[in-house]
Amino acid sequence: MKGLMIKDAKLLKNQGKLLAVMLVVVAGIMYFATDVNAMFIVGYITIIFAMFTATTISYDGFDNCYLFLMTLPVTRKKYVNEKYLFAMITILIAWCVSMVIATLVMISGKEREPLEMWIGENVCFIFVAWVFTSVMLPVRLKFNAEKARYANLIAMGCVLAVVDIVYQIGKMFPAEMRSNIIDYLNGTGAAGFILICGAVAVAAGVISYLSSRHIMARKEF
Amino acid sequence: MLKINGLVKKYGDFTLDCTMEVRKGCITGLVGENGAGKSTTFKAALGLISYDAGEISLLGKEPAALTEKDKEKLGVTLAESGFSGYLKVKDIVPVLNAMYPEFDRSGFLNLCRKFGVPLDKYIKEFSTGMKAKLKVLAAITHNADFLIMDEPTTGLDVMARDRILNLFREYMEEDENRSILISSHISSDLEGLCDDIYMIHNGQIILHEETDVLLNEYGLIKADENQYRKLEKEFILRVRKETFGYACLTSQKQYYMENYPDLVVEKGSLDEVITMMIGGEKL
Repeated sequence: MKGLMIKDAKLLKNQGKLLAVMLVVVAGIMYFATDVNAMFIVGYITIIFAMFTATTISYDGFDNCYLFLMTLPVTRKKYVNEKYLFAMITILIAWCVSMVIATLVMISGKEREPLEMWIGENVCFIFVAWVFTSVMLPVRLKFNAEKARYANLIAMGCVLAVVDIVYQIGKMFPAEMRSNIIDYLNGTGAAGFILICGAVAVAAGVISYLSSRHIMARKEF
Repeated sequence: MLKINGLVKKYGDFTLDCTMEVRKGCITGLVGENGAGKSTTFKAALGLISYDAGEISLLGKEPAALTEKDKEKLGVTLAESGFSGYLKVKDIVPVLNAMYPEFDRSGFLNLCRKFGVPLDKYIKEFSTGMKAKLKVLAAITHNADFLIMDEPTTGLDVMARDRILNLFREYMEEDENRSILISSHISSDLEGLCDDIYMIHNGQIILHEETDVLLNEYGLIKADENQYRKLEKEFILRVRKETFGYACLTSQKQYYMENYPDLVVEKGSLDEVITMMIGGEKL
């Protein structure tokens, strides 16, 4: 797995350098030219960079590289494990880097937030980025790069549709029950909200990982 | 090293039906036209595709059961696949180093220099020949026991081909227990390298023979109508109508040379055997 990690790190270094610079520049321009707050920088950089890490699968797919990779001392299971581990590491690195940038920007500007609140709010971006990655990884494994572009859009659309369906179903419940649920969620506070986000991210990760294992086990090269 | 018994793989109209073996210490060739089923055989042997029937044993295990440790003992090149074009050779070195405990880093770099494979250039910018060389060099520099080489010389010029084939010979000389399975549609590559050769056509193995036997005992008889009528047909494998009469492929050249002194019996080359086995008629 170490070899695969090095390969993906090299791919990211070769292909992601420009993207990383662009993300920082765009985030900076957005912050200074519009009225978004410093949190935007963290969310933007973390989520977009996380989505880029999923494309390392597409780089493996170009010119049938998959085929050759699977002849190296790599099993299908280890390949999937490496993709998830690599995504996790890059999300954390992107988040840490963007947090440093955003914190410096915030300190140098007028914005001020209590440290706990600042970190707590931004931790949620790790979960959001992870959910995006969890959708993208199995799709990239299942389809080639060309089809995956459309499949990703469809998958993201499905996620939004599910959210809407849940919302619509929620509206069917009696008003009293709904207000009880909302009160309960409000009562959980910031820590509770982060926990719920974390639980959603873990659930998405588990479903995604099992799907990827299933796809990879049956993949014909 | 590799045993394939009754392998069947169907792709639409195409059916691969293959039985073959690569013994320890031997170089086995698989020769056939493009689309004959060579790459499909390789993919099935490596567990990259499923198959409809048959048994495959690679290093004593089913391909799907091979562990990372088992795969360290394999060196593989595939015709249509290699390292990502978005990497450079200098990026690949640490990857191979991490994957293969016995990777010979300095040996690999020396060979890259010797074969003119640039270290600091994206592989997607390589010529076909350079890519072919890189694949072979990566496969032979981690002390593998078994090389599985699908069309390793495709895209190479004559000189480079010769040097790569010499690398295979040196690889075999280093350890008598090593083996190579190599495919090519350039028969001269296999003639001077392999111990035995399988010929595949339309997914079927149509011939398996020791290379020495093939080159020394196979022959091409050229007979006119009259000579052909009187010819003993028992040892004739294939016949093809020609302008002068008949061309006949035999596996008993000596028999015809001794018993039919008037006949023209030419020494068999692999190209001629392939042409006759594919284009000739079975009696």
